Amino acid sequence: MASSNLMIGLEIGTSKICVVVGEGRPDGAIKILGVGQTPSRGVRKGEIVDFETAMKCVHEAVVDAEQKSDVMIRSVYVAVAGSHLQSFNNRGCVMLPEDRDEIDEQDIEDVKISAREVSIPAQNAFLHSIIQHYHVEGQDGVLNPVGMLGHKLEADFHIIHGVRTRIQNTIRCVKELPLDVEDVVFGALASAQVVLTQHQKDLGALVIDIGGGTTDYILYADGVVKQSGCLAVGGDHITNDISMGLRIPMARAEKLKIEEGSCVLGNCLPGETILLKDDSGFAGKEIERETLNTIIHLRLQENLELLKRRLEEEPFINYLGAGIFVTGGCSLLNGIDHLAQEIFAMPAHVAHAQTASGLTSAVENPQFSTAIGLIKYAQAVQTDRPRRRFGRIFGKFFSGMR
Amino acid sequence: MIQLSKNYSLPERQEGFIPIKIVSIGGAGLNALDRIVLDGLERADAVAINTDVQSLASSVAAHKVQLGRSVTRGLGAGGDPELGYQAAVESADEIREALADARMIFICAGLGGGTGSGAAPYVAQLAREAGSLVVAFATLPFAFEGKRRGAQAREALARFNEIANAVICFENDQIGDMVAPKAGIHQAFATADIMISQSVRSIVKLIQRPGLIRIGFDDLLAALRSRNGRCLFGFGESDSDNRAHDALAQALKNPLMDRGRMLADAARVLVQVAGGPGMTLSEVEILMQELGRHVNEQTQILFGTAVDGRMGDRLSVTIISSLAADEDSPGQSSAPAMPVWGQSQDASPKIDVEPEPTRVDAPQPAEAIPIEEQAPGETAPPLAAPVLNKTEPRLITPQTKPAPTKEERPSSAKNVQAKQEILQFEPVTRGRFEKSEPTIVEGEDLDVPTYLRKNIKVK
Repeated sequence: MASSNLMIGLEIGTSKICVVVGEGRPDGAIKILGVGQTPSRGVRKGEIVDFETAMKCVHEAVVDAEQKSDVMIRSVYVAVAGSHLQSFNNRGCVMLPEDRDEIDEQDIEDVKISAREVSIPAQNAFLHSIIQHYHVEGQDGVLNPVGMLGHKLEADFHIIHGVRTRIQNTIRCVKELPLDVEDVVFGALASAQVVLTQHQKDLGALVIDIGGGTTDYILYADGVVKQSGCLAVGGDHITNDISMGLRIPMARAEKLKIEEGSCVLGNCLPGETILLKDDSGFAGKEIERETLNTIIHLRLQENLELLKRRLEEEPFINYLGAGIFVTGGCSLLNGIDHLAQEIFAMPAHVAHAQTASGLTSAVENPQFSTAIGLIKYAQAVQTDRPRRRFGRIFGKFFSGMR
Repeated sequence: MIQLSKNYSLPERQEGFIPIKIVSIGGAGLNALDRIVLDGLERADAVAINTDVQSLASSVAAHKVQLGRSVTRGLGAGGDPELGYQAAVESADEIREALADARMIFICAGLGGGTGSGAAPYVAQLAREAGSLVVAFATLPFAFEGKRRGAQAREALARFNEIANAVICFENDQIGDMVAPKAGIHQAFATADIMISQSVRSIVKLIQRPGLIRIGFDDLLAALRSRNGRCLFGFGESDSDNRAHDALAQALKNPLMDRGRMLADAARVLVQVAGGPGMTLSEVEILMQELGRHVNEQTQILFGTAVDGRMGDRLSVTIISSLAADEDSPGQSSAPAMPVWGQSQDASPKIDVEPEPTRVDAPQPAEAIPIEEQAPGETAPPLAAPVLNKTEPRLITPQTKPAPTKEERPSSAKNVQAKQEILQFEPVTRGRFEKSEPTIVEGEDLDVPTYLRKNIKVK
């Protein structure tokens, strides 16, 4: 059925709400059919603060996407962000009964449940349990243990959890429209699906998605997720700093940041100024370029340093072979890759979605990484499901292939 | 207070019911009528009128009239309004007979088809000629039913606007939005029927229900006065713990309300709150305050409340208003209203209550005649009964409407003061993140600009 491989990604961001309609190809590629977006209102730091307004904006974005792609949107994959999201790695373990030594699908489920048997705050809920590696009888690095022989199955999971009600707020906003929510996905996890290739994941890479309200990050090493998280600082903060530092309205500051902003210092002529044209209700103003850049630089520098300190709590940052990939709306700021390179002392690139065809203009904008990533994620999940239904023989075949 | 309640209880007993007939015309009208009758109709008669004998036969209405025995011979009008009109003309006597003895006639019709568009305006005309007040409930067809049908519907609607005292118009397209996209088509049409049924029944109740603060037909007309306008209608009912809020939320959810956004532009809004004996003043107050946020300050609120033993624990809210295509009367009508508000704001409400006893003496039958006169001329009627009815809502509006404004002003002043105090204590501001959850990492509030926290001079 043609509609079955239609996938819609919805990102309720702090600065914009965007809906990407995509189609999965049998060869694993995705084709973008349309992108709808509206400026976001009622969202702060990646979370909804004004339910009604946010809902209205989501509705507008969905309608926009429907018109552009000529597709009726019924269910969506939703990205979530917010400072409440936390993650950790945990190992689950199950022992097979004495009379059986072949590992089956049920054992995989059991080990996942076992890995989740950790204490997280009472109000929190699990968002993702991402498999890293299986260990069978102490043998490391097993990718798919189904069909293998052994009595002790262990599995390392990367677990992302967050405050249940805050995740539910996002879901409810979509359900009220009414649209079905297929799945809720951590924003950076979605972005990484399209920003990174499998090869880069294997080498080790860090994706930093700096959006309007939050900075989401996810670290891959050895092809699997090792660290992830969310810092509630984003482009909005830069705009706010500019607005306060230069004493200009927010809307002006936002425009200035996009058009003229840079986080490279010492790159402009001494005394070089930018002339802000007068507007209705705003008298023209002349500002020094260096001042603007200093404000942006200080904020981003602090943000990235904070991130670095967080990542250094665990050893994985030393295993990044492919380097750093900066994406999200803020990655459009001039010089952000150099700044990241300087702070993390490793190569950094500004990246956008790599593995999609269709509307290339949409794909080549890092602002849409998350929403497009949702589609890639959806495709991965959907192709995964039927395979499981085929049962063990097919599963065995697959594991044999590897 | 005790004296007051005595006064209130007196008129209730004397009130007789106004004879109301609900007349539905055409296939869509009959569907709606069936729904109305099945949902339970009190104190009103149902009359079904159609050209199609089959649909007439299956209707549950007590009184049925077949149109055009010779013109259509028991078949439908085939989507031709001209045929529908001729059929109605042929059966004019039977229609007159069916419409007799009703002071108020509600006409339900689905516009766009033959009988609905052709016969319904003619029936409305006959009803007006018989001296009844006519309120028309019309549905406009779905856009996909074709442009021709849409044009016929709009033509019929224009005729209704000329003839009827008030027209409440439902757009099927709008109602379609209410239905889940996956719902069956019968459900979409059923929703339209339910909407009409709900509004007809709530308006019948509104008028028939003896109220503490009664809403009369004049109030209804005032709320719907803007000609060719868009009707706003909302009905909500709830028996939950937070029923005042829930009922209002439900009423505003109505597609004809657009979540209350439309209310902001309305010049007059009619609100009736009805509940069981357990309904409290504070509930009504909460509800009206909440509603107050949706309406403009200049909006005239025609407020009514009723206690109905049969409501049990439920509380219902009916909101009726209209938006004018070209509103020209608000200045006119709100001008006389304003002084009344002004007086009652200065004086205590008790003084306004005093005319109550005179209302008891006012003869009930006088009501119909002045309303008739009032409908065309949009000025305040000079006659006794409507004046009294008019003063009732105004008597209470100062209690509900100005109350929040009175409270708001000092509170906003307080806010300003409080803000200033806080500003004195807080050395740095968080700008646009003032009201959001602070992002505190490693003991620093990241919402404060970095250059401020690091004490770096940028200029």
